[in-house]
Amino acid sequence: MTAIESPISRRQLEDVAEEQSPPPVDGKTLTPARRVARIVGYTVLVLAAVALLMPFFWMVMSSLKSANEVFSVPIKWFPETFVWSNYVEIWTESDMLTWIRNTLVLAVVVTFLQVLTGSFAAYGFAKMRFPGRDVLFLVYIGTIAVPWQSYMIPQFILLSNLKVSNTLWAIILIQAFGAFGVFLMKQYYETIPEELSEAARLDGLSEYAIWRRIMLPLSIPALASLTLLTFVNTWNDYLGPLIYLRSPDLWTIQLGLKSFVSNLYDTNYALLFAGLTISVIPIAVIFLLGQRFFIEGIATSGMKG
Amino acid sequence: MTSLVADDVAAASPPPASPRRRRSRLRLRSTLIGWSFILPNFLGFALLTLVPVVTLFYMSFTNWNVFGKADWIGLANFQRLLGDGSFRISVLNTLYYSVMHIPLTIVVSLGLALLLNNKLRGIAFFRTAAFFPYITSIVAIAVVWNLLFSPDYGPINQILRFIGFENPPGWLTSSEWAMPAVVIVSTWRDMGYYMILFLAGLQTVPRELHEAARVDGANVFQRFFNVTLPCLRPTMFFVTVMLTINSFKIFDLILVMTNGGPGQSTLVLSQFIYKKGFEESQFGYASAAAVALFLLCIVVTIVQFFWNKRRSY
Amino acid sequence: MKRKFAAAAGIAIVATLSLAACSGGSGDTPAAEESSGPVTLTLSGWSLETTPEFQTLADAFHEKNPDVTVELKEYDPANYNTLVTADLAAGVGPDIITQKEVKYVTTFQEGGQLLDVSDVKLPDGISGTSSYEVDGTSYGVPYRQDSWVLFYNKALFDQAGVDYPDGSWTWDDYDKAAAALTEGLSGAGSAAKGTYQHRWQSTVQGFANAQSKDGDILKGDYGYLKPYYERVLALQDAGYQVDFNTSSANQLTYQGEFGKQNAAMMPMGTWYVATLIAQQASGDADTFDWGIAPIPQLDEKTTGTDKTPVTFGDPTGFSINAGIDKAKVGAAKKFLEFAAGEDAAKALAAIGITPALLNDAVVETYFGVKGAPSDDLSKFAFSTHETRPENPTSSKTAAIQGILGDLHTAVMSGSDNIDNAIKTAEDRVKNEVGLD
Repeated sequence: MTAIESPISRRQLEDVAEEQSPPPVDGKTLTPARRVARIVGYTVLVLAAVALLMPFFWMVMSSLKSANEVFSVPIKWFPETFVWSNYVEIWTESDMLTWIRNTLVLAVVVTFLQVLTGSFAAYGFAKMRFPGRDVLFLVYIGTIAVPWQSYMIPQFILLSNLKVSNTLWAIILIQAFGAFGVFLMKQYYETIPEELSEAARLDGLSEYAIWRRIMLPLSIPALASLTLLTFVNTWNDYLGPLIYLRSPDLWTIQLGLKSFVSNLYDTNYALLFAGLTISVIPIAVIFLLGQRFFIEGIATSGMKG
Repeated sequence: MTSLVADDVAAASPPPASPRRRRSRLRLRSTLIGWSFILPNFLGFALLTLVPVVTLFYMSFTNWNVFGKADWIGLANFQRLLGDGSFRISVLNTLYYSVMHIPLTIVVSLGLALLLNNKLRGIAFFRTAAFFPYITSIVAIAVVWNLLFSPDYGPINQILRFIGFENPPGWLTSSEWAMPAVVIVSTWRDMGYYMILFLAGLQTVPRELHEAARVDGANVFQRFFNVTLPCLRPTMFFVTVMLTINSFKIFDLILVMTNGGPGQSTLVLSQFIYKKGFEESQFGYASAAAVALFLLCIVVTIVQFFWNKRRSY
Repeated sequence: MKRKFAAAAGIAIVATLSLAACSGGSGDTPAAEESSGPVTLTLSGWSLETTPEFQTLADAFHEKNPDVTVELKEYDPANYNTLVTADLAAGVGPDIITQKEVKYVTTFQEGGQLLDVSDVKLPDGISGTSSYEVDGTSYGVPYRQDSWVLFYNKALFDQAGVDYPDGSWTWDDYDKAAAALTEGLSGAGSAAKGTYQHRWQSTVQGFANAQSKDGDILKGDYGYLKPYYERVLALQDAGYQVDFNTSSANQLTYQGEFGKQNAAMMPMGTWYVATLIAQQASGDADTFDWGIAPIPQLDEKTTGTDKTPVTFGDPTGFSINAGIDKAKVGAAKKFLEFAAGEDAAKALAAIGITPALLNDAVVETYFGVKGAPSDDLSKFAFSTHETRPENPTSSKTAAIQGILGDLHTAVMSGSDNIDNAIKTAEDRVKNEVGLD
């Protein structure tokens, strides 16, 4: 096994990855068979995309219908008249801006804390040895196995006694220290060969420095996944805010929307879908723009084996 | 050397740090550093999750009514669970769902990840499309799929009749086919989520290994099984464990699509727990059912844990 | 080592939590002197923007008692009981608890969360009080009582050439009308059906429980449900009403089905009157003449406007939090007395709510609202009925209703036949709930 002489810089690894990446598909070198395969491939992808996007399409179309038109026999894919006022109503009559602000604050803070403490703890679980490590890890995973509704009441009593119920802190506290992030990052760290850290240790780097300078850069795809999934989950979370955020000025988008469009026996689904469409856009944009972080891996050339 | 001489040597000078003591000092240092990494996350976790969960487990041995009364009744709740027909049905339904959902989702999301792990033009759009089911409102999902599965007017049955099935299934209106219908929707919804995790994992597969294999004459399948899969093992373990636990815990999709029906044919364990607790106010009993769900997950996870450890080199 | 510590900490926290949760009612100062200064009472309500009844009551009470202010706390309507339970468990519940569903009264009462309010004076003729009594002690006061009546679309009846209901219908008359309406309407070129039945279990079981001789869900025998389900399945199979599966798949709303004239008749609760009036005014529902008639009866014994038709419904009421500040108890009880009284009833009737107290003055106010039906039959249907509780007050009710709900979906979707489903329900009640 070869040992590296100095800690590898990200730049160097990038260079290596560049050398090794396959040449981009070049239109000029396509044989007819390849071209057919290409077209077939694209067709399949387009059909699949249609299947994947259909409910979303129905939701957007329904947001432009009037309230009693949304559900009908048979299903209506297009509204009879386009009721754009649904969107206007959401923006002007509801507290959408407050809700967006609250949801944004929660999503950003929770994601940041989850990624930071999760990857930090994951390093301890993946690379450090100490007694009770595996049992403790099982305890972590074990708590994921308990449905949240079951321990929701004891948790609520606890947070009420700590006087953080009905504040944004309640949501931050219950979401930021979950086991999911620890688990995800730990698995990813295990794919990073030990030789890299050993070499770094020989060079006198502390464990914390190794984590910051070697582990973090090498795990960007996992960090990106964790960031995205945590962000989405916090953005769309309904039950947590329902229980803890009672004052209307603390409401998140999901809470505010549901309350705005419903009364006891009735829900104005057209309005609700308009709000939900607005709510989905930031996530779709973040995902579209952040794609390259999933794919921009750094190949650990020649280190395995 | 004879022991006598060793003793003399030992007595003559203070013993240097013996290998054992050096090892134990190293271990102490390792333990402390390890804990320092874990502590920030663990403190929050212990206080806010572990404590309520332990409380829950304690309550399963009581007749807790959520308002302060919690008299110890030992294993009475658990004995009652064993004789409860609805509990049995919910466990069977949960297992039925999981056994179908887990392999299907793994295959589909891994396939998607492999398919979309390239730099083709516009591929970002397709990846986003795969992720959309996960971020679409669950109400919209339930409505559209309900319509698709409609036995008389729905497109799915119309296609089935067209290709020759005279009596297509009743899907969500029939107690035999409701669960398979839910599995299909659930897989459709989850595949984008797990695709992302697999995509991240696929980035750890070194390209030179693929190149070397290709040079050696391996075809696509051989490369997949001998290069990709082994490198994916940690990710696969993660995905399998999370998928298993999430499948055992499935709740919101079933609630919106079928609410456990028709009859009890899609009643799952999470729903049983919720009903007993929040609809029938039997919180001690519901806690016992939650412990049962936990044990089910833990046993399977431990099995997966050992399976994974055994195959590591 | 670590495990033991974790376990010890866990038990300590549990003890603390249990003690904290027990805070309701114990350890209060024995002051018991009525405070003469201004008092604020918190009251739990839902969808405050679109449900004006709470604010109406709060304002009307404040006018009569200027030193008492009733402050509303908003809760999500779909999860109301879960949230109130969580708040009460943590000791931060409201002073006055609105009982949204009778099913949960025994939970709160057995958990020691409700104050004894047997000494609150209630007017004669108020209905729904029995729902709040446990072992002879009253724990709540009804302020609102909806009943189920038959809504009918006069315009569609005219189009099909069918006579309006006249208050003398049995269920056989109803079935005949549904058939005649569907055929008449399709002959006239309309796609509307004779009637619409919503998916709730109460649309069948509520009537079966109220009108059958042995219709008591707590007894554990459900044979009396069979004729009601057979009738409904026949209507569905003949196409006189949208079938259950189509209604579920398309998530049909009853406001949409009746309001957009997709059905000529609909059994529904009286709360829909206010909604329909408002939707006709805003354009969400079509403009057409409609009325309400007494719900069809089991047999001739209770039909006709000279008798009292039997229907079902549950009250909505107020209870007092047992952990309330002792000095506020007097004010709280005064509020309860007010809410059940005639002034409150008239205030509620003016905004389209069906109060628990229905005397002539109240009925006049109710039908004085613009857009309300004006015929005598509607007034009769609204004011004269024997309303049996939809949910008997017992700790077994919630579990039994759950089992019967499964029966409903199994039978209506066609995935099980009625005899099997009844047998399953009876076995499950014996096994899971226990009969004494």
